[in-house]
Amino acid sequence: MTQSPSVLIVEPSADEREVLRTVLARRGLRIWEAAEVERGLELAREHHPDVILLDTEANHAGDDGVQAEFDATSIAQHSSLIILGRISHDHSLPASQVIAKPYHFAPLIHKIEQLAARAA
Amino acid sequence: MATLFVMQGRDKGKRFDLRGDDITVGRDGSNRIQLNDSEVSRRHAEVRRTPEGIVLADLASSNGTFVNLEKIDQRLLKNGDRVQIGRTLFLFTDADDRSSVNLAHDVDIVGLGNVEGSRILKSVSHESGSQLFAPPDPAESPWLARARSNLQVMYRTALAVSHTLDIDQLLSRILDLIFEWVEADRGCIMLVDHETEELAPTASRNRKGVRVDGKLSISRTILDYVMQHKEGVLTSDARDDQRWNPEGSIVKLGVREAICVPMQGRYGIVGVIYIDTYTPPGQIVQQRAPNKFSEEHLKLMVAIGHQAALAVEDTSYYSAMVQAERLAAMGQTIATLSHHIKNILQGIRGGSYLIEEGLKEEDNEVVRRGWRIVDKNQERISNLVMDMLTFSKDREPELVPADLNETLADVVELMQARAAEAQVQLVLQRRDDLPQFQFDPDLLHKAVVNVVTNAIDACEKREGARVEVSVEHEPGARFVHIVVADNGEGIAAEDLTRIFSVFESKKGSRGTGLGLPVSQKIMREHGGDIRVESTPAVGSRFYLELPTSVSAVVNQTQLP
Repeated sequence: MTQSPSVLIVEPSADEREVLRTVLARRGLRIWEAAEVERGLELAREHHPDVILLDTEANHAGDDGVQAEFDATSIAQHSSLIILGRISHDHSLPASQVIAKPYHFAPLIHKIEQLAARAA
Repeated sequence: MATLFVMQGRDKGKRFDLRGDDITVGRDGSNRIQLNDSEVSRRHAEVRRTPEGIVLADLASSNGTFVNLEKIDQRLLKNGDRVQIGRTLFLFTDADDRSSVNLAHDVDIVGLGNVEGSRILKSVSHESGSQLFAPPDPAESPWLARARSNLQVMYRTALAVSHTLDIDQLLSRILDLIFEWVEADRGCIMLVDHETEELAPTASRNRKGVRVDGKLSISRTILDYVMQHKEGVLTSDARDDQRWNPEGSIVKLGVREAICVPMQGRYGIVGVIYIDTYTPPGQIVQQRAPNKFSEEHLKLMVAIGHQAALAVEDTSYYSAMVQAERLAAMGQTIATLSHHIKNILQGIRGGSYLIEEGLKEEDNEVVRRGWRIVDKNQERISNLVMDMLTFSKDREPELVPADLNETLADVVELMQARAAEAQVQLVLQRRDDLPQFQFDPDLLHKAVVNVVTNAIDACEKREGARVEVSVEHEPGARFVHIVVADNGEGIAAEDLTRIFSVFESKKGSRGTGLGLPVSQKIMREHGGDIRVESTPAVGSRFYLELPTSVSAVVNQTQLP
């Protein structure tokens, strides 16, 4: 049986995690959550999610090194990376996968679904 | 680090770091140093880093680039150089450009044991120093008396201009001094307006008791001459000495004389000082001389003008620095507040989105979740606004006899929902033996809420997380202590001094950095304070000290 697509949310705000978790779970996606980047990287390497959502306000996520590590992890695991906030170095990410804050949830959810469907 | 600091021009107060390689200066947005100056070319000049140092090069600009008033194509910049680009005047500073000579090798401060043979013979206070030039001795020569008097004027000018950093006050003092020393009827100081480059009257004075008719008219020719030649002038309408005879018109009409001198600063003329006087016909005959102003007056006025110009430049530089600091502080405040408001908005958007989704799918549980998030963020913005208001205003607490147990019980009741959400046990240890104290219940409530909020956040979701609010009071003691203790993550020693500084928060996007400064301000306004004891990984205890007998001390509040 094929597993449903999965999303890793690395987001320091409990409210935003709750919104994303509630909506994405209802759309049939599997969810992993982390409030901090270290835990986020652990979950990414353990579960190979189809989409990784990284908020740059998570601890140290604004640093070049941390973003580059997520970048490298997502490329190695064929995950799609979405960055919420400002990017700090030259990413290979398409502009549509860098979303400035404050953002609207509907287009973000739509984007996650699109990328997850592509992976599936 | 090398910088260009804008001293004059529309960008006054801005400081540009010269880090990195070639930096262009110009009007266009593509320049790293973009100037809001219509006389600057689109790409005007370039700052280049070379092995010799920092070089400024003109990029064939229309109006040229000047260093210390000299037009340049290319110039190695030295610390203190003034760079003029269009109407914008920069000061170049380079912290690395300083002598490498270690004076410690040449100078030795010796201890008490090594001062054999040295003893203090005479000491002079600052006040005695100002009496350097004693009143002239009647026996001394008129030349010496005049020289002493002139030195005294210069000394007093130097003192006067060094005692203020307010331009208006400075110019007023200079006019006072001039009027004390020379028999002028009217005086005016005009400063160069950096926008228009025209002279604009900035201070004026009339001699007491002298009737002055209408406006002070100053000859444009004289002003232009002074500005162009950078020389002081003495003028008189007694044009022809031959007219000095009892039958001449000068005796019938009187004489109007004027002195106009440039205020020559380090790098240009900052303005002019103008004084004039009128000698009526009768007085000319009486004083047996047509003039009150002499060449000596002119020379001294030129010297005063120079002193005043240096002070105006210093004051202008100082005010630009203050403005820059204010702008930086304001920028930081706006950036920090915008960041918090942006996060709150994001929460409200998220909650609203959930409500919308729940309504669409008729799922009340999702609607409820969304509403809870909206409600929580409404509370956050309300708290932020109230904290900003409390922090920004000095207000005297409305002290009334009140029950401390009641205020603390209100706080604990209010915070129970938040504590439950964070899986923290929040308890109040009531003291039933407490007398009533004088305090402002609303303000104290706010102060304690902020500390309890932090305590809950500090031990959120830790095993056995607990926050306890209690009161320590000994009969007759000067202070009663409200104690908020948690078993949370604790505070590192190096952070203990920073936690009461505004906008310092270790809580990431959850903290505004206003809570503890507001609590501290409230306690200080009550005549008390806050102190904290903390052990990392064990927990913290905050003590809110409230005087047992107080009057409000709002004006003594010292914030960090």
